[in-house]
Formats: sequence, C-alpha cells, structure tokens
Amino acid sequence: MDIIDQALARNQRALSEHEAKNLLSAYGIPVTREIPATSRESAVDAAGQLGYPVVLKGTGADLMHKTESGVVFVNIEDEAGLTGAYDTIAERLGSAFEGVLVQEMVSGKRELVLGLHREPQFGPCVMLGLGGVLTEVINDTVFRVAPFDEVEARDMAAGLRSRDILKAFRGEAAADMDTLVHCLRTLGRIGLEHDSIAEIDINPVIITLDGGLRAVDALVVLKEDKNDAQN
Amino acid sequence: MMRKIEDSPLYGIANPKSIAIFGASNRYTAMGTGILTSILQMGYEGRIYPVHPSETTVLGHTAYQSVLDLPETPDLAIMVLPTRIVPDVMEECGKKGIKYAIVVSGGFKETGRDGAVLEDRLKQTADKYGIRFLGPNCIGAVNTHLKLNATFMPCEHPPGFIGMASQSGSFITQMFAYLGRYGIGFSNGFSVGNEANIDIVDCMEYLAQCPNTKVISLYIESIRRGREFIDTARKIAPHKPIVAYYAGGTEAGRRAGLSHTGALAGEDRVYEGVFRQSGVIRAHSIEELFDFCWCLGTCDLPAGNRVIVQTHSGGPGAVAADACARSGLELPALSESTRQKLSEYLPQTASMNNPVDLTFTKNNMDFFVEIPRILMAEPNADALLMYLMLPRRNITRFIESTGLSTEAARAETEKFIAEQSRQLAEAMLASEKPWVGFSYYSGESPFIRGLYDAGAPVLPGPNRAARAIGAMVEYKRLREKLNASA
Repeated sequence: MDIIDQALARNQRALSEHEAKNLLSAYGIPVTREIPATSRESAVDAAGQLGYPVVLKGTGADLMHKTESGVVFVNIEDEAGLTGAYDTIAERLGSAFEGVLVQEMVSGKRELVLGLHREPQFGPCVMLGLGGVLTEVINDTVFRVAPFDEVEARDMAAGLRSRDILKAFRGEAAADMDTLVHCLRTLGRIGLEHDSIAEIDINPVIITLDGGLRAVDALVVLKEDKNDAQN
Repeated sequence: MMRKIEDSPLYGIANPKSIAIFGASNRYTAMGTGILTSILQMGYEGRIYPVHPSETTVLGHTAYQSVLDLPETPDLAIMVLPTRIVPDVMEECGKKGIKYAIVVSGGFKETGRDGAVLEDRLKQTADKYGIRFLGPNCIGAVNTHLKLNATFMPCEHPPGFIGMASQSGSFITQMFAYLGRYGIGFSNGFSVGNEANIDIVDCMEYLAQCPNTKVISLYIESIRRGREFIDTARKIAPHKPIVAYYAGGTEAGRRAGLSHTGALAGEDRVYEGVFRQSGVIRAHSIEELFDFCWCLGTCDLPAGNRVIVQTHSGGPGAVAADACARSGLELPALSESTRQKLSEYLPQTASMNNPVDLTFTKNNMDFFVEIPRILMAEPNADALLMYLMLPRRNITRFIESTGLSTEAARAETEKFIAEQSRQLAEAMLASEKPWVGFSYYSGESPFIRGLYDAGAPVLPGPNRAARAIGAMVEYKRLREKLNASA
C-alpha cells in the first residue's frame, strides 16, 4: 500500500495520524472527517469546511502521543479559538512543528479502543477494550487471533466486562454492532496483509449519539526493519 | 485434521505391541529401571526388549547389547539415556526400522546452546528415518486401557476417561494418585517435554479420536504452533470438550511496545482470547482442571445455567447458592407443580425455596432418589447441585438404638450405606440433566467412596462443584458458538 511504502521510504517509525486514518478509511473503518493544514489561514478554511466545533491537533515528526504533549485542543467553537489554539501548538512544538490537523468534533460518552499487535506464536492479534484516557487503568480488554469470523467478533465484544456500554446507554443509541464487527475483522486483515505494520492503536473510537463508530485518533507503528516482519 | 486415529503419531506411541527400552538396568536407582518397573507392574501385555551394553537380563527380561540384535522390530523405543548418546541410539533405532520413540532424557534445548545443537541432531536423525518421537526432556506416556505405564511413577487408578497432554510431566505422574482418590483417571497421558517432534496439537488430534477419552485436558506453559492450535481445537471442541490450565504468569505490560495495544497485551489476556476463540474451557487451578474433566466426562450438558441446590443443612446450602451466583449460575424458583409434588415428602420445617432445604426427611431414600427425581423434572431448572453426607457412626448409633448389638448394627450400617450409595450413583449417572454432588467428606466416608467408585461426580465443597457446573454451561455456550461459525 502506497501510504505504508512511502512512510517506510522516509524511514518513519509510525504513520502520521492523518496517514493512519487514510489507511483505515481505505479499509472501511469509519474515521473522523479531517483536513491537514500548515498555516493559520488554511486551518481556518478547513474549519469552515468541516463546520464548528472542531478539534485541532498538532503534527510533527515522531509525535505519537499528542495528548500528553499538550497539542490537542477539542471543542473549538470559533475562529478566534482556532487561531489561538494554532499559535499555542506551534509554540509548544517549536522546531518539531509541521502543521495541524483540523477535525470534526465527535460527540459521545462512550469510548472504545481497538488495536492490533503481533505475538510470536500467534501472529497478528486484534484487541477490543474500553477506550479513552483510562484505558490502561481500567484494563478491560479482549483479544482474538486473526483471522476470525463474525461470530467470533461478536463473542469478543461479549467478553468485555463493560459490554453493557454497547447497548443503549444514557440516552445514546446502542452501538452499531455490524460496524464494530467489521472494524475488528478488518484490523486482523490489515495485520495479515501488511507485515510491515507492527502495531495499531485506534484510541478512542467514539460511539456516537446515534450508535455510529468514529475513529478519533489512530496510531500505526511500522516495523523497524523488514526482517522483523518474519514474526 | 487426520481422519483415522492410526494416522496419528501418538497412536504408535500409545499402542505398541512391543517395546525396546534403553537405560533400564538392574540398578533400581536408575530412572530407566523405574520406568521399566512401572511398565511391568501395570501388567503391560506386549513384548519387552531391554537394551543394555553389559547386562544379559534386566528385571527378568532377556537384554540385548544393541537394538540391532533384537529378534523383531519393536513398535516403540523408550530412551532413558545420557544426553550425548541419544542421537546415536536414535540412529540405530532408525536402522532397525523403529518408527516411534519416547525420549525421556533431558539435557537438550532446555539447557542452552549445546543442548539445542544436540536436539537439532536428534530431530534430523529422526526425520531421516521417519521416526516420530515424544520429548526429549519428558516423563513418558501412559495408556491405562492398554495397561501401559511408561512413566517413572506407579499408576494404580483404574482406566479412566481423561486424555491429558502436559508440558509438565508432573501433572501426569503426580496426578495418578490424586485422580485415583476420586475414582477417576487418565485414559492417556502424554508428557510432551521439549516438543521437538510431537507437540500439544498432535496430542489433541489423537485424543480427539481416542475412543477411551471423553475429555481432553491440557497443561500449557506456551503454545508453539498458535494458529494450528486454534484451528485444531475449534474442530475438536464441538465433539469433545477440551479443558486447559495455562501457567504463563499474570503479568501485564511486559512489553515495551509503542502502542497502548502492545502494552495492554499481557500474555494472560492473549491466552484468554485464544482459549475462547478455540472453544477451550479455561481452568484456573489444577484441581479445577480435573474437576471440570470429571463433570464433563460424567454428566450430560445442561441446557442452561439454572441450578437447583438441594440440601438438608442450611449453611452448606447457602454457601452453594453463593458459589452458584459467583459462577454465573442462577437459582430459579420452583414451579407450583414441583412444590405440590414435593409437599408429600417434606416435613413442616423444610423450605421449598431454592436452595431446597429439606432439614430432615422421613425416609433417607427420599432425599437421595425421590426428591431429586421431582427436582430434575422441574422445567425451570437445568442442573442439580446436591449436598451429600451420610456419616457412618450416626447411622450405627441410630440402628443400635433399635436394640441391635453393636456388631449387628455395624454390619447393618455397611449394608445400608452401600445400598444408599449405589442407588444414588445410579440415579445421578442416569440423569439427563447434570447432577453434581458436593461434600466436605471424601473417600474416608464409605458413602462418598461408593459414589466415587460408581463414577458419580461428588466434588470437594460447593465452590468447586458450582465452578464445574459453570464450566459445563460455558462449554455448551462455546460449542454453540463454534457450531454457529461452521
């Protein structure tokens, strides 16, 4: 796949968030609508196209965990907020600053994490868990070895301790299970088809008010060299 | 997946008509001598050929200086030899035309680089001659139905229905007495050692086809052929239950991965997923592993998770109810028709809730046979969990009080207990719904002993019994899942 090959050619350790989402989107995983921008003006244009409120995220070389770096601003309601956030991001990243990603603001109380990693004896393994900032603390995760079928994907979701958040929840609709099943199986397929991908994190995947799924952040880690791919 | 059991390499290992044994002598401290002793003591009926460089007879059997001197080509070679000569002996076995071997000797890959080199040589030699072998670094194999115990420890339990493959030999040999205590036992046991040639997946395929094996039991520290394990287990589990204990540690975040996923993927979590995906029931202790096997091998599967607890003592009933809740089981209320049927058997003091607490029954047999029969007909319930005790001394005391001599009362007690035990076991084993007993008594009680001997599942304590019923419910669910996939 071009996105991966180009990143490898540039010696990237990981795909940028936007590249990662393009990859996932090409496989039919629903991601946020978003537009990269490298100037304040183009960021303002992008926000206009997407419609406020928006999210602004800084982008830069090898910037994998943006929240911790203080370069993510959510729920920006207008142009003044946008330009202010833009300047802060540029300042915080300094010489590493490359631009921003302007994203639609996705609402929903429920957050999932989906992921992929490789096990020496099992190959690509897909993870589903409770997402968001408390992911590691709550540690409610289930794994399956790829490939697996729809029945197995549903059983995976049923294996979560917090599986009830997939049902109708506090005025929000039940999660679209067909899409969740598709996302889980597709992650496995990506792992099987691309040896050069070491790990994937999609965290969070927000369950929207109407039960839809949207990948809000994504990280695709590449293998350090092709020899790793023999796993 | 193989079609015939004879196609399995384990068939050759487990069903030899003749055996060459290397490393047995007349020195009783030698491990090889121990294994040959086990083989002889269990009464193996095939031909035995000890191979020894200097002895002319070993434990009463004619010994041969070289395998090449044997009067026939034996079906199986067992090697309990110093590590460095094992590959050469394998070579000679190959020349003789032997096709199956058990390599008990250790000192191979598990000891480091030199050992790994030697293990490679062993594998290559075996491959050259098409020999399939168990081990190295294993404790052997047992096939109780053939009276073949090729391990270091005596196996005195009767032929059983649990087929075990273990990455620790101890959980074969040191379980002989443990299982025997409950009147259960192995059909086959394979200690897989370093899995240089035959691994856990091969064992599962064999045990799936083995007519003496009702339940497959696995002790796993690491699955080597991951995808094959999953695919094979998924084919077997709809027909025969597989129970596994995994000892891999409970660590989390051992990885230095860049993603959260990598950090969250502790081995235990991944294996949890692998087992569920494979349709394998996971046990969380060795006791539980065999508890689950015991119930799965003796009971029909429950249709659902609704359990009736029958007791004549309040506390044990309450604990059983609590244990059921913890094991994902429900205690349904009894229907009106069941209550009506029960009322003629119950004293005023009894509770017709669930747990059904009988306090005292007019006739002992009511408790063991008539009342459970009514409870088993309850349409809202899928299984019966029954508290069991029948202390001998109490009964003797009661009988004595009718005027019999102590001696006569004792004899009467024996008869009474044996009869109660027999009738209860019969009813339990004939039941179409799982009927599991629990007791704080064990084989020291003749009543419980009688149930064990008849093959009825009576687990130590309510928690273990409830967990085992939970495992049967889980197996049913896994099976339905796999069938939905197929």
